[in-house]
Amino acid sequence: MKIAFACSGKGGLEDQISDRFGRCSSFTIVEVEEGRVKSVDVIPNPGSQAGSGAGIKAIKAVVNSGAKVIVAGSLGPNAMAAAQELGIKHVSVSGKKVKDVLNEVIAMLK
Amino acid sequence: MELTIASGKGGVGKSTVASTLAIELHKRYSNVVAIDADADAPNLHLILGVDKWDREEAFTSTAVAEIDYEKCTSCGVCKDICTFRAIKRIDDRYVVNDMLCEGCRACQFACPEEAIKIKPSESGLIRIAVTKYGFPLISAKLHVGKANSGKLVMREKELAKEIGRGNVLRIVDAAAGIGCQVIASLAGSDLAILVAEPTPASLSDLKRIYALTRHFMIPVVLVINKYDLHLEHAKTIEEFANKEKIEVVGKIPYDERIPMSMAKLKPFIEEYPNSETTKSLLEIVDEIKYIYDNWKSWWLTHKPKEAKPYIPKILKPESP
Repeated sequence: MKIAFACSGKGGLEDQISDRFGRCSSFTIVEVEEGRVKSVDVIPNPGSQAGSGAGIKAIKAVVNSGAKVIVAGSLGPNAMAAAQELGIKHVSVSGKKVKDVLNEVIAMLK
Repeated sequence: MELTIASGKGGVGKSTVASTLAIELHKRYSNVVAIDADADAPNLHLILGVDKWDREEAFTSTAVAEIDYEKCTSCGVCKDICTFRAIKRIDDRYVVNDMLCEGCRACQFACPEEAIKIKPSESGLIRIAVTKYGFPLISAKLHVGKANSGKLVMREKELAKEIGRGNVLRIVDAAAGIGCQVIASLAGSDLAILVAEPTPASLSDLKRIYALTRHFMIPVVLVINKYDLHLEHAKTIEEFANKEKIEVVGKIPYDERIPMSMAKLKPFIEEYPNSETTKSLLEIVDEIKYIYDNWKSWWLTHKPKEAKPYIPKILKPESP
């Protein structure tokens, strides 16, 4: 299972989870297998450069990465609607680094 | 920490409240960065008496098509395919009109010679000035006909984080409405200060902006401006606030001198420091100072318990 963490900076396990989703800087895609981290990837967020439709572009990037869960402070109305339609879950986390909540999120999703 | 002043309805007093808060909170805490998040009709710089900018940055969020004439064979396919009629034949050349081009790239795809490039087009300017009150103001203005977007507000907030030192208090004066630029103003904010006036239109718009704060789980307080303009409507707004458990942090009386001081490019509290109106504005400042000083405990008792998503209705195509 892949989890997409919305990040405020360059991404990676040390980065801060972003309060916002559509225009966050990057996504850290963590692949989890049997409760363990299998791989960590960082992809840029096309929504951060978008003049309009940022939320939708961000969801598209998440879908393309294969992630089924988004971890971010909150999703805007359009992104939320798209996530619901596509069955992508949202876990709300604020003010923490990816590595600090990784285990909690994995446990939550079992 | 970030405070956003929003209203839904335009002209209810956001900038009056925002400028008052910026000036008074900076006097006390010395850490304010003000952001005018209304790039269509910025006016915070007028109230704060900014007449020149220290720094300007071009903002691009759209793109326009550009024909490479070395490759172009003047076949005219681009003109035919353009829905916006942005390509015209002038003499023996096809020319893109920058003002009409929407950057949709249809011409780029259609061009048999691959002679069309898409180049970013400047939509507006972000500018920064240090106000005479000692705090920086980040403002923006869009070029005529260009679209507003959340990306612009995000860039303003990014700049605020860059120039602010240490524990910055960002005060965001949002635009009217609930569009993308207002959503970006609210996203990431700690507290929304909503402003309403006693009219049914204002209440209707207030409900919409309030729904947006519930979507983002942002705690909210309310200011009723021009409240004695119509006491019955003001009461209706207060009843709405009570029902939703929104704290009313101030009621400002209707004062013709407010638009007058704006016309004179002066903050009201400076022009008329001894008025009842200024007294009520300063009471609001005190309420916000209290919230700021006791943030952790105030937030625990006032944060929304759960998000109430405010999502667009999705129209699905009918199954065959």
